Amino acid sequence: MSGALNVVAHLAGIAAGDRAALRHLYDATSAKLFGIILRILAERSEAEDVLQEVYITVWRKAPEFDATRASPITWMATIARNRAIDRLRARGSRPTTTLDLATEVVEPSPAADALIDTANDARRVTAALDTLDPRHAAIIRSAYYEGLTYEALAAREGIPIGTLKSWVRRGLTRMRGELA
Amino acid sequence: MSNDTLADMVPDDDAVAIDFALGALDGPSLRAAELRLRRDPEFAADVARWQADLSPLIDAVAPVAPPPAIWASVERELFRGLVAAPVSSTIARGVGAAVNLWRGLAFGASAVAAVALALLVARPATPVAEAPPALLAASMASTDAAKSVLITATYDPARGAVILTPSAKDASHGLTPELWVIVGKDKPLSLGVIELHDPQAHRIPQALRSKLTGGATLAISLEPAGGSPTGQPTGPVVAAGTLTVI
Repeated sequence: MSGALNVVAHLAGIAAGDRAALRHLYDATSAKLFGIILRILAERSEAEDVLQEVYITVWRKAPEFDATRASPITWMATIARNRAIDRLRARGSRPTTTLDLATEVVEPSPAADALIDTANDARRVTAALDTLDPRHAAIIRSAYYEGLTYEALAAREGIPIGTLKSWVRRGLTRMRGELA
Repeated sequence: MSNDTLADMVPDDDAVAIDFALGALDGPSLRAAELRLRRDPEFAADVARWQADLSPLIDAVAPVAPPPAIWASVERELFRGLVAAPVSSTIARGVGAAVNLWRGLAFGASAVAAVALALLVARPATPVAEAPPALLAASMASTDAAKSVLITATYDPARGAVILTPSAKDASHGLTPELWVIVGKDKPLSLGVIELHDPQAHRIPQALRSKLTGGATLAISLEPAGGSPTGQPTGPVVAAGTLTVI
């Protein structure tokens, strides 16, 4: 996504209570975040609710955002993913989701560049995933894009949960090795 | 053991960080990881690194334009009832200064100061009152002769939740533990039923959050299944402690 600097500036404005900045940020990022949320939730009206929650969260948490520590896109995408996964987990189970995952957003490491070139990084991550067993890479992508639990993924793949966990963990550890 | 196997070993700590960053956990393992995230900065940093490593994957997600009604809902939720106040010009000046300062410092180490300033001037009238960020904690000692710490409670106003960490054997004896807050000489107010065997985050109802202040007492009584039938403690009080700002 281009304009990471603009996004940082919008977040600064939001932190200062500037409503117009929120509108600009929404215009620049809502389609991407809605895409992320829809991949996880599929159900459109639920995804719309979550998208709304995400921008309300962004408005309230913008003062905590620190451009020296986090890419703004990563920060917002993490909020969107966590909110959507939170909603997914709440389905079907008792409404005992006691922790608000969205407040657990962890800022990326200080080394993460605020002006991260996501397209370039995406190519590197894709290339790193492509070095893995294709089935393992596909499962990692499913886990990330669809927000499924290990249990759900194992059931879908028809493999024991322990096997699936080790594929994912080893796969990502190798992916990191390739990125280094 | 071949080199390949060695390279494939994933340290246990990293495994949980991967699981959490990926969002693949559920139920008790998710709650355990969330608690650890709050207490263990090294673990939090691991999770952050994994989230950063994975985040370029969002590049491949196709954008989908949301319906226009969503923006209207966001605006309504955040700004309803807000009208341009007579003091707006003063606020605007303050906001402008804060923005410039934020921009000036955003790439320096002292952005925190600017953010704090921005917070001071930023929120004249958000519909939900912003709670003070200070955490409050109470070591809840057992009320028997031993006075051992039974459970530690940490209240996070920003989340409206009390993190309960049992540190002794489950003392509920098959009854239902219920958490209470006592402010001064007021009657105890129920904060809901809890568990004494697992760490947990216990959400505090919005209306009761203002009661959780420094000096207030938290107490746990043992009640029949479902909690106290009367709205006041009916069973033995097994632990109590005073909330202090940490």
